[in-house]
Amino acid sequence: MALLEVENLKVYYFTRAGAVKAVDDISFSVDKDETLGLIGESGCGKTTAVFAIMRFAAPPGRIVGGKIIFEDRDILTMSEEEVRLLRGKGIAMVFQAAQNALNPVMTVGQQITEVIHQHEQVTKEEAWERARKQLELVGISGDRAKSYPHEFSGGMKQRVGIAIATACNPRLLILDEPVTGLDVIVQRQLLNLINDLRARLGLPIILITHDLSVIAETCSKVAVMYAGKIVEEADAVSLYEDPAHPYSKLLIKSYPSIKGEKGKLVSIPGAPPGLLNPPVGCYFEPRCPSAMDICREAEPPLVKKDGRLVACHLYK
Amino acid sequence: MKDRALLKVENLKTYFPVRKNLVEFILSRKMEYVRAVDDVSFNVGVGDILGVVGESGCGKSTLGRTILRLIEPTAGKIYYEGIDVTSLKKKEMRKLRRKMQMIFQDPHGSLNPRRTVADILRQSVRIHRLADGKAEEDAMIKTSLEEVGLRPAEEFWRRYPILLSGGQRQRVGIGRILILQPKLVVADEPISMLDVSVRMGIVELLAHLREKFGISLIYITHDLATARYICDRIAIMYLGKIVEIAPTEDLLKKPLHPYARALIAAAPVPDPRVKMEELPIIGYVPLIPSDVYTSCRFYPRCPYADKGCRELDPQLVEVEPNHYVACCKTK
Repeated sequence: MALLEVENLKVYYFTRAGAVKAVDDISFSVDKDETLGLIGESGCGKTTAVFAIMRFAAPPGRIVGGKIIFEDRDILTMSEEEVRLLRGKGIAMVFQAAQNALNPVMTVGQQITEVIHQHEQVTKEEAWERARKQLELVGISGDRAKSYPHEFSGGMKQRVGIAIATACNPRLLILDEPVTGLDVIVQRQLLNLINDLRARLGLPIILITHDLSVIAETCSKVAVMYAGKIVEEADAVSLYEDPAHPYSKLLIKSYPSIKGEKGKLVSIPGAPPGLLNPPVGCYFEPRCPSAMDICREAEPPLVKKDGRLVACHLYK
Repeated sequence: MKDRALLKVENLKTYFPVRKNLVEFILSRKMEYVRAVDDVSFNVGVGDILGVVGESGCGKSTLGRTILRLIEPTAGKIYYEGIDVTSLKKKEMRKLRRKMQMIFQDPHGSLNPRRTVADILRQSVRIHRLADGKAEEDAMIKTSLEEVGLRPAEEFWRRYPILLSGGQRQRVGIGRILILQPKLVVADEPISMLDVSVRMGIVELLAHLREKFGISLIYITHDLATARYICDRIAIMYLGKIVEIAPTEDLLKKPLHPYARALIAAAPVPDPRVKMEELPIIGYVPLIPSDVYTSCRFYPRCPYADKGCRELDPQLVEVEPNHYVACCKTK
């Protein structure tokens, strides 16, 4: 049994114009020693999907179906109180742009101890001691626990976000775009920290990004999302060496690198479909170079192929 | 070669005063400045694409804006086709602006949400009085839209920016400057806010405009990888100074300045089989850069620094043809 199993998850946004199927029938799992990368363009539903794991759905969004089994229990059928206890202690999340997710009028130490007091019966002194340890864990001097967020640089705020998320030793960590908007050198330092934490704490991670190189540097398994669905799931190396889905292929080809020969880069024409009235058949068909007649008629199921999962009519 | 340059920047400085409170002012009586651009010189030839690469806060955007005189320079000269741009009067500058244009980073914020695509371009035409009558305006707008890949133009004509995707909006932003037939364009991070799948489309469009119209480009970015695909030369900036400038492949294959090396080592590689290199850099960008204004800007973070680096402010030296480096350690 995997640590986390998401089965047929559906999250829709109910707008006046109709239901927007932001996450539509996706399944994936995370094992104890895995780092799963969720990759896709903006609006593909990757953040909505992981929010659902913590049972967050911002109105008008609603989780309309599926199961989220974490340590043999379905999060979607838990009581409010159970979910509250789970957040931060069982599953913790570092939000996108953690730089701005911190409270500007509380010191970072207060923000760390706040989480600890929520979940554990400890004295104030113990909590502060742990807050200092948490900061040291992410490479910030413990003496800076009394500093306010504005006294830190962007990369350091992101580290503080990780310190808060890991304060209660969660059993699963979710990182939403952890390095987006940071400079390359800071980005690399942070990725090193993430890899280091995973090794030291043995922490399974779900990492959301639109950046192929972040996946390449941190993840063991990758799920590629497109328009609310997972179109391919494979281990990181085989996805990179031999992507199966036409979208994954183009995504990899469109990514520039400073290493190796300067190959020809491609861009994918068009834009993802609106999810209010998505097209019949495969959602990627209008942009797909290998589209066939059947792609306009039937939605491709996710099938097993050489140890990976892919949703494309090319593979039957 | 130097005389045929379209743009010549000489010892350009842009300083911003640091606001202090009254007590501090009375106590020190001295104005302090952030040196966003500090003694920068380079040339851009006709049809050249120069990449300006650096981390946030290194002054690359200020440099781009100063060249177009959107920010007044503190000192130094900018020559465009031999004309000293820094000494032009407002009216003369306005005439020249048609030839020197800018593409902004944020395609969402830089377009007026209450104007249709056609009207956004029409505004450019009217400001510079380029057309006689509406028919000519319309024809120019149509040509420009189709040139930037918004085809057929009729389909986008009446749309408001909100109905366009990020890539399409950026194309509108490029269309409205293309209609002016500029010779020099400063593109400030034109693709950093776009989705990966459409980025290369914009980069290709910029390369196409250079091929077809001979537009020179100053391409400001923090991303060496995309710069590699479009730039002829790359200038690396650190804390207001150019520390290395060289032809693109030379710079990437054989970086000489320690900061350029660190940037290249840190550049993300989209391949899980490639192991991450150790970073040859120490710590963070200093919060108070004034400490390093009299020394090599990079010495506190440089793994090779010694006492000499603290005393000398190195200048750009040509170490190989067209390859300039500012480092005391490079001979």
